[in-house]
Amino acid sequence: MYRFFRLSVLLAGFFVATGSYAADAMPPLTTADDLGPKVDQPIEFPHDRHAGDAAKGGMEINCMYCHTYARRSIVAGIPPLQKCIGCHQSIDSVRETPRIKQLFEYWEGSKDGKIAAKTPVPWKKVHDLPDFVRFNHERHIQRFHFQQDKPVQEVCAYCHGDVKTMTVARRSKSLSMGWCASCHEKDHPVDATSTMTTQGPNDCWQCHK
Amino acid sequence: MTDNGFDRRDFLKVLGWGGAAVALSGCGYTSVEDGREIVTSYSEPAEYVIPSIGVYFNSTCAQCDAACNIMGRVREGRVLKLEGNPESAVNRGKMCGLGQAGVQHHYNPDRIREPLLRNGDKGEAITWDKALELIAAKLDGVTGEQVAFVTGTMSGHVGVLLKNYLAVLGSTNHYAYDAVSPSVARAANKKAYGVEMPRLRLDKAKVIISFGADFLGAWVSPVHFSQQYAQFRKHVLCPVEETAIGGRGVLVQIESKMTLTGANADRWLAIRPGTEGIFALGLINALGVAGLKISSDAAAAAKSYTVERVSADTGISAEQINKLAALLKERAPSLVIAGSAAEGYAHGSQNAAAIALLNQVLGNVGKTVEAPSVVPFPQVAPTVGNRFALQALNDGMAQGKFKVLFNYGVNPVFTAPASMKLSENLAKVPFKVVFAHYMDETALQADLVLPLDSALEDWATVVPEYVAEGAQLNIQQPLMEKLYPGTRGMGDILLGLLKQRRPDEYKYEDFYAYMRNALVQNKSALGGAGADDDTFWTSTLSNGLVKLPGGQGKLSGKASTAGLALPAPAAADSAYPLHLIPAVSASLRDGRHANLPWLQESPDPLTTIVWDSWVEIHPKTAAKLGIVEGDIVEVAGKNGAIKAQAYLFPGIHPDAISMPLGNGHEAMGRYAKNIGVNVFKILDPVYDKETGELAMHETRVKVSKTGQRVVIVKDEGAVGGKQMGKKIAVRVSSDKIDLSGEV
Repeated sequence: MYRFFRLSVLLAGFFVATGSYAADAMPPLTTADDLGPKVDQPIEFPHDRHAGDAAKGGMEINCMYCHTYARRSIVAGIPPLQKCIGCHQSIDSVRETPRIKQLFEYWEGSKDGKIAAKTPVPWKKVHDLPDFVRFNHERHIQRFHFQQDKPVQEVCAYCHGDVKTMTVARRSKSLSMGWCASCHEKDHPVDATSTMTTQGPNDCWQCHK
Repeated sequence: MTDNGFDRRDFLKVLGWGGAAVALSGCGYTSVEDGREIVTSYSEPAEYVIPSIGVYFNSTCAQCDAACNIMGRVREGRVLKLEGNPESAVNRGKMCGLGQAGVQHHYNPDRIREPLLRNGDKGEAITWDKALELIAAKLDGVTGEQVAFVTGTMSGHVGVLLKNYLAVLGSTNHYAYDAVSPSVARAANKKAYGVEMPRLRLDKAKVIISFGADFLGAWVSPVHFSQQYAQFRKHVLCPVEETAIGGRGVLVQIESKMTLTGANADRWLAIRPGTEGIFALGLINALGVAGLKISSDAAAAAKSYTVERVSADTGISAEQINKLAALLKERAPSLVIAGSAAEGYAHGSQNAAAIALLNQVLGNVGKTVEAPSVVPFPQVAPTVGNRFALQALNDGMAQGKFKVLFNYGVNPVFTAPASMKLSENLAKVPFKVVFAHYMDETALQADLVLPLDSALEDWATVVPEYVAEGAQLNIQQPLMEKLYPGTRGMGDILLGLLKQRRPDEYKYEDFYAYMRNALVQNKSALGGAGADDDTFWTSTLSNGLVKLPGGQGKLSGKASTAGLALPAPAAADSAYPLHLIPAVSASLRDGRHANLPWLQESPDPLTTIVWDSWVEIHPKTAAKLGIVEGDIVEVAGKNGAIKAQAYLFPGIHPDAISMPLGNGHEAMGRYAKNIGVNVFKILDPVYDKETGELAMHETRVKVSKTGQRVVIVKDEGAVGGKQMGKKIAVRVSSDKIDLSGEV
């Protein structure tokens, strides 16, 4: 029995060690309220200022103006740096604010030479899915926004939460498989006027290709 | 373990419980990386760029000298997959497996990433500036004739720069080397037709007789020939109007070792190695007997080659010869092709000449053997490689003629037979510069290794040697950013070297600027007359090729019977009774692609063996020697011995064995090193008497068992397997077929 005990102790020690290492490296991914971790972005981008309601000081810019790939591709992409500069080079009123100065450092290069000109901003990914899940943005935007005529902010918010009230985006849905399936099991009208409904696909291979 | 009183069973028990405990404790690791992974956006994307959606850019395949036009699918700045360019006259939108594997050359983890200077046994990283300065210093005080440049086949503007650089150095020592090129057939074609590589119209021939030309696998331009072959198999084209008129063409393959083309043939005839010319003359004689009108000199040359004699010499039955002659007489035009099997002997030129004579007797010249177009810019026309170049280089090195040697695109230390002592002779050159992608055998002997861009990162123009219609200038352009900042394109390196010597003449910023300038200057001759420079250039890059307004060439020579003297079949050698046939594999070629795992993993089409070398041996010969499949046998010749697994294969002449070329690397990275054996090493130094080319099929060997046995890693089931009780692939030996229906 002794030999059995000795190896058990060794193995237990090993698992405790790796377990505690993993626990250190990995903060819990999903909290009780489905909120994702707070993400420190290189520039604290104010979604509320750009997309928020006019009554609250927002400019009500359409999500798809910046996130232009979402309706055309399976990935939403990150707006190219050129997009930010395209507007901000002619908005003098905020040109000297700290965040915009920082933005222009990426475009023009920083004075200390640490950032080369036209360096993309190293944004951190806020919404991530495991590599074995294939989520198609285009399908969802086309279906809910263009066919069913739902407001685009509502459609994006199904998965991304009410981003127009946030500064830096933070995950607010669990994005788990059960959560996806809960919506796919609902009856959705096929277009804006029809009374016919259909459910989202429930084949495994739709997402797990 | 036993000392501690702990055995495997206990270990597994504990491990099992431990694993279960970990699973229960919910180690819920997924690959989700919210807030950790950086997503990089574009800064200024082109309008057509949409993440996750591929964009295609045209370029040129560099995997073999056929130079097919390709398009690369590029997504998020990475090239993912290659396809054929439909506008190409070479490959018409198709591609082969070898070409597909081009991305593995690009992403190969064993690529050299910075210039390396020899320091004892090690390579020390240096900068490009220092490397070029060093070359200038070593060339100082060296005459032009003391400099040698070894390359593969060269064409286009990189070829022009090389010529200019050699002219500036005052050197005439350009050695264009290709270990497996059809160079003897080229010389014979030049004599018989006035051009080295006439256009072969497989699609117009009602009968094709191929003497070991593996045109569907590894010969000249396989993708192009495969398409012509498909047409030939459906409806042979009318020779004049090029409309489909005929029925299905008949392919007869005559060779000692079955190639991929042989496996597709209607009739495959195993010929005694080296007697291909005799067989061709025998056919001429039999055609005369059958009543075909034959010129008197050809008839005289073939007179003594009676069916009985030819049958005895070649081992092919008289019945087969007569039937073949009847078939050829009945169905004209036909096409006869001399492949590597015919040309690989000391009398290879004679074999090829006899085969050319057969083409002429059959009246095929001008019908299925056509003149190629003339490339209007001779300076960009290809300089094709041959094997004689290596002998010449080796002799020069042995005499200590060279002080500085440049090596680009070939690996002579790997492909030279051991008897040449090339490695020792190379060591006599004081300063060796090797331009390389990998640390291959030749790069290991270099004093300075300069890392090259991959073919998917580099600029070049390429003129294919074999184009079916017109002439064509192919554009090779980068499909993505360079993977490693420390590599350079060959054009840029040559331009840098030229700038050292002629700074006033070469004021181009880089090779791209040189190439753009060269093409834009000639835009009116390149179909861009009237267009402004930018429009012409953009459309050229977008098309990936320029059709050159080449004039129709002419066939000038005449197959002559003068000097046509074929030796009697080689006498049996009791010490080394078997002929060794080195087989050129469609994927590994001369070994330059042995480090591509996709190709190593693709089963050989005939044996289905992967990741290794093997010895193909006829079951009868094997039975005589007591060899069964998987026996490790020693193949010993006069110039060395190698060991490999035996594979019993009915598609080979009983007097011959065959081994594939390409494997057996001692270097060249993790995927190539120590896989299989190098057949080049044991080749006998026998040369074609007219061209001086190494005769690849002249090596004689003996085979003996070593006593070891392995299980061969292959895809196919057991030999003679029951095919699940169904007749899936029926095999009938050729003498049991009733051929009367074919004529």
